[in-house]
Amino acid sequence: MLDSKDMNIFAKKEESRRSDDTPEHSKVLEIAGTLPRSVPVNHSVPLTMKPSIVGESSTPSPLSGSHITEGFEFTGDMKSDGSLTVDGTIHGNLMVKALLVRASGVVDGSVKADSVSVEGSLAGAVDCRDLVIGGRAVVDGKLRYDTLTIQRGGTIKGELKRA
Amino acid sequence: MAEEKQNGCLIVGEGVTLSGSFVVPNSASISGKIDGDLTAREILVGSTGVLRGKVTADLIDVRGEVHESITSNKALFVRATGKVTGTVQYAEIEIEKGGDLQGTLSKTSTVSKLDSVPKADSLSKAA
Repeated sequence: MLDSKDMNIFAKKEESRRSDDTPEHSKVLEIAGTLPRSVPVNHSVPLTMKPSIVGESSTPSPLSGSHITEGFEFTGDMKSDGSLTVDGTIHGNLMVKALLVRASGVVDGSVKADSVSVEGSLAGAVDCRDLVIGGRAVVDGKLRYDTLTIQRGGTIKGELKRA
Repeated sequence: MAEEKQNGCLIVGEGVTLSGSFVVPNSASISGKIDGDLTAREILVGSTGVLRGKVTADLIDVRGEVHESITSNKALFVRATGKVTGTVQYAEIEIEKGGDLQGTLSKTSTVSKLDSVPKADSLSKAA
């Protein structure tokens, strides 16, 4: 197992080393939940990987979903045909099929997805088909959508446009 | 949501077109068309209702269309058949799936008093 110090070290050189997946990643994901929030983890985690919790996607994907756990802070871009569930923090751009940002989740960056469901916080440009904003969610940015649902109490700021 | 007393209410039936600036102390129920500004305590826009102008109320329920500017000091509901475009200000918002909301949104943090009648300045403007 890696300790958090090690993680910091290779976090810095992540860009050069971490292009394709190795089983190490599953370790990273497992220990991620135990990391303190302030530790920046900088990884290109392949989204097609095993340890996962399927996001509540409206469009089922053949790929199993990926999960950024609480306490996991990620900086970088992600691309996947599967779903992504975020309990932690992501700074970067996402291109996924379905994105679920849970209550503790934070996404800061542009998002392109089929369906986006937010219960936590999302800031950035969003381009999606179905957008669902929960009652305690905070969404800020330029939004493009086909169908939009906002539950009462949800906060939405910025520019909205229907595709 | 209909008030028992119709004092201070405005009801615009389907097929009716109004233009001008309106201040309604109580609730406004719009199934026709209004061009101009409308201020009320409560605005219900029926599925055939179309408002174009500056719309201000504590509570706004949209099943029809509202264009240009909409300000809700308390709650804004956009139903599945509703269409809202322009500048939107709200304290609390709910959009049903299928509801169309386009434009610039901002949230006002302060929820104004529920039973406030339209402000003095908007009254004098209308007079």
